[in-house]
Amino acid sequence: MSKHSALNTFGRSGNPAFSRNFNLAGAGAIAREDRMTLDGAVNKTVILLSLCFAGAFIGWNTPALTMPALIVGAILSFVTIFRSPTKAGSTAPFYAAFQGVALGGITVFAEAQYPGIGIQAIGLTFGILASLLFCYKTGIIKPTENFRLMIFSATMGIGLLYLVSFVMSFFGSGIGFIHSNGLFGIGFSLFVVGIAALNLVLDFDFIEEGADQGLPKHMEWYGAFSLMVTLVWLYIEILRLLMKLRSR
Amino acid sequence: MNILIFGLLTIISLFIFLKLGKIKASTKQLNRENRIKWTQNQNQTLNENADNSKTVEVKPSQISDQSDK
Repeated sequence: MSKHSALNTFGRSGNPAFSRNFNLAGAGAIAREDRMTLDGAVNKTVILLSLCFAGAFIGWNTPALTMPALIVGAILSFVTIFRSPTKAGSTAPFYAAFQGVALGGITVFAEAQYPGIGIQAIGLTFGILASLLFCYKTGIIKPTENFRLMIFSATMGIGLLYLVSFVMSFFGSGIGFIHSNGLFGIGFSLFVVGIAALNLVLDFDFIEEGADQGLPKHMEWYGAFSLMVTLVWLYIEILRLLMKLRSR
Repeated sequence: MNILIFGLLTIISLFIFLKLGKIKASTKQLNRENRIKWTQNQNQTLNENADNSKTVEVKPSQISDQSDK
């Protein structure tokens, strides 16, 4: 077992989509054309991004669909993560489209308050994606088991904090600094953006090793899906950070 | 201006992702001892569980009838 008991109990990745590990038993028996490749994973990510943009166009024009799309997207993400990853090919495109609708609606809301904020958030999200990909490919950032433990712990901590804040909101209370535009609130948002961004490195590493080890072809969809989950989270957090900065 | 700068950033970043994403990572990244082993963890756990459930073989001790003593 690993020397980190938290890893053994909860899994090894920061990204919830990687909370399970993948059995490579029988990978040698998979035909070459049925194996996961970098090309395939990137192409499938582009398909999911296109669907997300198409959904965002609908959400932009029909903001009333934001909440239903957000709920359906969340359900689809849980189905993809907790059901077999072999089904990711059928659920991930719907997840991307529904999350796109939700993001379109959220962006309309943000744009109404702070014009021009949407394109800034999109630019920064993809800028971070490209720069971290460069850092990963060149070996500037080298993810290790300890790195994964750190990102996993921080991601779970943030998730728990958001959950507690959400539950408290039903009782007319909440954790103030999460939403405040003070220095502490902005610092918290910066921290969350950093953790979301570092989750991208884990996604890249999984895709790279999956292709290297010859995982089954359907794992391309799962890799693309996990990248989408991280990108959606990163976009929302960058939008929140920019809104806090602009409201000062 | 805002749209131009961030729009260009988006397009260039997507182009980099498309090109760089399909290239294999550097040997500095791939040939490391401390890489995350995404695909071996489950097998490792299964093997460890199997080890834990191993039955201990003990030689049967000779049973002697103590009733005469």
